[in-house]
Amino acid sequence: MSPRWKLITAVLILIIAGGGLATYKVHSLGVPFWTGEKINEWEIEARVSFLATGNRVKARLSLPALAVESKTGQEVGSLGYHYNIEQDRGRYTAVWSAENRDESQALYFRVRFPNRSFSGGEPIPGELQALENDGLNLAGPVGEAAENIVKRAKAISSDPDALFVSLFNDIRIGESSQEFVLVKRHYDKEFRNTAAIAMGIDILGMAGVPARLAYGVRLDIERGSQAPVLLVEYYDGAFWKVRDPLEPSSVLDGRSIYVWHRGGGPLLDVTGGEGSRVSFTVAKDRIPLARLTDLSRSPLMVSTILGLPVAERNAFRYIVLIPIGAFVVVLMRNIVGVPTLGTFMPVLLALALLEIPLLRGLTMFTVLIAGGLWFRFLLSRLNLLVVPRVAACVVIVTLLMIMMTVISYRMGMSGGVQIALFPMIILAWTVERMSLIWEEEGKHSAITQVGGSLVVAVLAYLLMRVSQIQYWAFYFPELLLILLAGILIIGRYTGYRISELIRFRTFTHV
Amino acid sequence: MRTPGELRALGVVGINMRNGRYLLPNNPRKLYGLVDDKLQTKALAEAEGLSVPETYAIVRTARDARLLAKSLADRGAFVIKPSRGSGGKGVLVIDGQEDGVYIKASGARLNREEVRHHVDNILAGLFSLGGQRDCALVEYRVRPAKFLTDISYQGAPDIRIVLFHGYPVMAMLRAATRESDGRANLHQGALGIGIDLASGRTVRAIHHGKPVTRHPDIDIDLIGIQMPGWNQILDIGVTCQEMTGLGYLGVDLMIDETIGPLMIEVNARPGLAIQQANGVGLRRRLEPISEQHHKRPGTGHFEKIEFSQTHFGVPGATVAHPQASQHCR
Repeated sequence: MSPRWKLITAVLILIIAGGGLATYKVHSLGVPFWTGEKINEWEIEARVSFLATGNRVKARLSLPALAVESKTGQEVGSLGYHYNIEQDRGRYTAVWSAENRDESQALYFRVRFPNRSFSGGEPIPGELQALENDGLNLAGPVGEAAENIVKRAKAISSDPDALFVSLFNDIRIGESSQEFVLVKRHYDKEFRNTAAIAMGIDILGMAGVPARLAYGVRLDIERGSQAPVLLVEYYDGAFWKVRDPLEPSSVLDGRSIYVWHRGGGPLLDVTGGEGSRVSFTVAKDRIPLARLTDLSRSPLMVSTILGLPVAERNAFRYIVLIPIGAFVVVLMRNIVGVPTLGTFMPVLLALALLEIPLLRGLTMFTVLIAGGLWFRFLLSRLNLLVVPRVAACVVIVTLLMIMMTVISYRMGMSGGVQIALFPMIILAWTVERMSLIWEEEGKHSAITQVGGSLVVAVLAYLLMRVSQIQYWAFYFPELLLILLAGILIIGRYTGYRISELIRFRTFTHV
Repeated sequence: MRTPGELRALGVVGINMRNGRYLLPNNPRKLYGLVDDKLQTKALAEAEGLSVPETYAIVRTARDARLLAKSLADRGAFVIKPSRGSGGKGVLVIDGQEDGVYIKASGARLNREEVRHHVDNILAGLFSLGGQRDCALVEYRVRPAKFLTDISYQGAPDIRIVLFHGYPVMAMLRAATRESDGRANLHQGALGIGIDLASGRTVRAIHHGKPVTRHPDIDIDLIGIQMPGWNQILDIGVTCQEMTGLGYLGVDLMIDETIGPLMIEVNARPGLAIQQANGVGLRRRLEPISEQHHKRPGTGHFEKIEFSQTHFGVPGATVAHPQASQHCR
């Protein structure tokens, strides 16, 4: 493999790994990608109530598989009841049981999930089971009328989806053909207020599209306590899909409806009680970011920094920004061609700037460097050896720092105190390097390099200061792999630097 | 300002291209040590029979440094340089001694203490790449041929030859100006004078990137100066490539009044200003060499010189000069 292909492979692997991990975190774990993103959390409380008849009570409430499987917050409230969750082929049921109960009983089950989650009504692949409702309770003229409706609907619809849409549209607007009225009347007698849906399900079944009832909850806090919303789940030949019969043409929107129960069977089944019903209450809450990003129990690759204890984690707030600075340095040196003093001194300087306001930081830096340089030249008359001289520089820079802090404090600038954190080893080292270059290559060279370093440091600082970037670096450290891919690409850039366009401006061919 | 397209058309090589396309693939990291340490380079060159400035002393410890003055007492002129220095950093040129006081090229005087301090600084790694401990090299002070001192404001001009796979690519003469303060660094204001590979005559000169024909401080013409023993100089260059094994390198030489060409140092990262001094983009020469190298890997020493001379000769300068055809070895 040529180096070129090796590079392309490496870059692709890095991008896929970094991007994939980040995508997984955003989509499957619900970690917000944008820092300003308002992540709301829904809390749905299902309240099961019934009148116990004094015997053994057993209540079974079907649960949303999505909530149980993703282990988002769940709570159960049921004093004195034995409670467990029963699992059967991907379906979950909460089972409460107790002996000798009477009077009215209430059981609660609460789930929490982030706003952006799925509605739970997404198509799931399924095999066709025997039709539960074969719709053959229609006989005589009603049956014939239903057959006609099916025939007509099939004539204009090409697939199960279209059939569903046209049928429920007709039901919704109250299609007034003879047949419709006839069939509807038949169902009204039997099902009362769920007549339209029962009829639709039966007609779908007659048309060869298996369908059954599903139950949902409207994500609407204004409603207060609400009865389950009746939805229809139908089989399109490959997938089971859930739709709202009142809005047959649109796919369920996870932001406004939540499918609580699907897959056939009853939503609630109570033995030993009467007048059982389930009602839902919806509440909305801001989720603290800390909990959203609580990945401490995720696998190592996913949790990374967030798997550390909080104290250790904080050290990484700045560490994860260093690659950003390194990237800026690479960009400025290899593409733009800005000379800097040492390769990564600007990164350290940028980190230092993060702790103090920019203008004050730069002033401090300039004053300290100028002062340090002046002392350094005084020292050079003493003919000191290298290591003692650098050490002397450290001492001088420290003293200058103390002086500046004290003076700025006396002058009423309390912010000057922060400078204590300004990494002075960087300063001392800069003074030493600069003075050497000053002597060896002249002041022009020294000032250009320090100036270049400052420019690069400020650029890196401006980038590192962006809260979005800090957020990404901290919560999505895998994105640094993409940054690495970028650096690798620049590493193979053999084109001209912008500075060279100027350097060779007078170049003429002889 | 020029557009990248224009520069590409001129065949100009930028730093990224030099590093990515010529240095990295052709100069294995492990060979850098040979040329970054002048002691090793000199040892190699001596083994090859190349003439190099005679070594008077090697200072490795502080004790050596103390004893240095005694051993140099009868030397008169000498040069002290760090073994691992780069770009002329830390080079101290002493032109003579007077009762224990050393006289620099500029006329400044240094006492023993100051010289010893300089040596101590070298030992401490002040001038070495990466600041590692170093040793100091004391050697023969080259007395440049008169025609060279004539075109230089103080300091001694040196000749830089860039070679690629052992083929001479370009050559230039670097001469100090008042502004460059006796140094031969082009970005400090030294002159870069392009030399025609075929004839060994200077063809063009630049000062701060702009073409000039006369020295800014001395009233002397810079174009048309003939290098004596030019083929011998190219020969030294090619030998340096062979002995170091570096694919892309620069060789610095000086011409001594009496000894002739002396190899001073080998540079594994030669700069790009040589293009401006010659008015030719490096790619115009590196590409044909690369092609030739792959077509005929086993080309001999003298055929390489011949190849470069026939392909890269500057038409106007190829008038044969009696000295140009001198052959050594």
